[in-house]
Amino acid sequence: MNNLRPLFPIVWLLSSCLMACSDAPRQQTGLQARSDSAADFSGHWELDYGQSDNTQERVNVLVRELRQQAERRSQSGQGPAGGLVINGNGYNNGESVSGLVRLTDMIARTALLEIDQDEDFIRVRREEDSDLTCEFYDDSLRQLETPFGSELCGWRDHQLVFRLQLPGGLSIQHVMTTGASRARLQLTTTVRTDQVSMPFTINRVYNRFLPGERDFRCEMTLTRGRVCTTGPR
Amino acid sequence: MHYWPSLARTFYGFLVLCLLMGPLSADAQESQGAFLDVGLLVFDPGIPADKAARSRLGIFPEIRKSEAKYMPVILRDVLMQQAGWGAVRVLPELMDSPELLVTGEILHSDGQQLSLQIRAQDAAGVLWLDAVYEGLATPTDYTGSPQSDPFLQVYENIAADLQQVRERLGAARTSTIREIALLRYAAALAPEVFGDYLVVGESGEYVLQRLPARGDPMLERIIRLREQEYRFIDTVDEQYVNLSDAIAPAYLLWREYSAEQAVFVGDFEDRVLGRKSRARPGSFAALEQTYNTYRLSRIHAQDLDELALGFNNEVLPTSLEISGTVYKLSGTLENQYGEWRDILQQIFALETGLTPSP
Repeated sequence: MNNLRPLFPIVWLLSSCLMACSDAPRQQTGLQARSDSAADFSGHWELDYGQSDNTQERVNVLVRELRQQAERRSQSGQGPAGGLVINGNGYNNGESVSGLVRLTDMIARTALLEIDQDEDFIRVRREEDSDLTCEFYDDSLRQLETPFGSELCGWRDHQLVFRLQLPGGLSIQHVMTTGASRARLQLTTTVRTDQVSMPFTINRVYNRFLPGERDFRCEMTLTRGRVCTTGPR
Repeated sequence: MHYWPSLARTFYGFLVLCLLMGPLSADAQESQGAFLDVGLLVFDPGIPADKAARSRLGIFPEIRKSEAKYMPVILRDVLMQQAGWGAVRVLPELMDSPELLVTGEILHSDGQQLSLQIRAQDAAGVLWLDAVYEGLATPTDYTGSPQSDPFLQVYENIAADLQQVRERLGAARTSTIREIALLRYAAALAPEVFGDYLVVGESGEYVLQRLPARGDPMLERIIRLREQEYRFIDTVDEQYVNLSDAIAPAYLLWREYSAEQAVFVGDFEDRVLGRKSRARPGSFAALEQTYNTYRLSRIHAQDLDELALGFNNEVLPTSLEISGTVYKLSGTLENQYGEWRDILQQIFALETGLTPSP
């Protein structure tokens, strides 16, 4: 396993470069700024626990795949036997795999989504997390660079994809999908780190809901804070 | 605001009465004083047409549009506090030949930094200034009082530069500029009569060829009309002052929050980027720290979006209402202008027997 490790940063660097091109054509990122089949995700969504992935089951799959991968490498003489080294300090060790799983679970824990979308912009408000936003103003993919990481987003046919590249070899991808009926939304979160040879993915399914009809409406103001007035919504 | 149509009718009736009245009392023009009137055009908000660029530059269009109306009012107040100017008015659009026209474009405005491109040109076409004025503010510059603008110095610098040019002019040149302004206005309304009093030089500057006779009845009518137009514009100007007063509390808060936010983000970056993680690479602690740092930085940036939304919710209804009133007034003025021109042409035809050009 350790024999492969020097190659990993190179692979990682190449994939990062691909993600870093702000107007990267589709063949490089697989994403488009606009799509004829772009889905409408707008509305309120609540997590359907029954339809969503069970994290433990996904962990079991990951561990099994890591072991299989390690065995294949061991058989081909590319690395030592055993995929998951519980107390090891190196690549694919227990602490790294556990970190990957816990972080993915933490990111995907959002129970409620509120999505505003028009033809130029989407904002996905997530409980206890920052919003996911994407702009579709022109034909180039929108890339946001900050000292703490970079964001790239765009359409892959009817799916909306958000990619975050963070320091320390951490990358996160969210893929949003909905069906024609727009009754359900699937949010697939995939996290990769440079300490584990496989990514970890959790699928969350959300059901559309209508927030309760009220005879008052509230809006944020600067001088008076949140102001509510009576009357129809 | 439904009283504007009736006001316009009253105004129109008064106008016709004015035109039918006898000549002006002696030297009406001189009685207006020797100060230059200043027209401050609503600033260009500097919003890029490219929506992606707006986002990249952190420009909130609705806030910029409000600033474009708010800032000329601040400059107007500063100029009015300075001795030596005539009427200082905020104009919704370019009017014919103000004695001194000041235009501006907002290059940057984020609560921490204000950058304005200011241009001033007199009626003779002479450029007084064309420069960028910049100012910086810290959160402590925000006192919470709508009367104290943290960028007051920027407006004071503009006013000081204008004053400096004005002081170099001398009474004779000031008087010439005023005469040129009047004759440009007259030529726009009655080109058959006043079209050849001025020529435009190669550099685009207006040069007086001759002056109308003292007591020229046509010129006196023009002066009366211009006075009426000024009254109309004063009403528009009042609307901008009202708008400025109405949005000032929310706008100052927005700028203050925005400045605090910028300082906080700067500190946050310094703190986080200078920090060394003790967690083992790949561990949950290390990954969580990386993710949370990013998450917090995005939340801070998105707070500004929420604040902008709060500003829009609060200011937009007032802004739209007043803009609507200004639009109606401007439209009314434009119609009046056309009617004045027709009346003047008819009077000219009656007095001279010449048929005015269509």
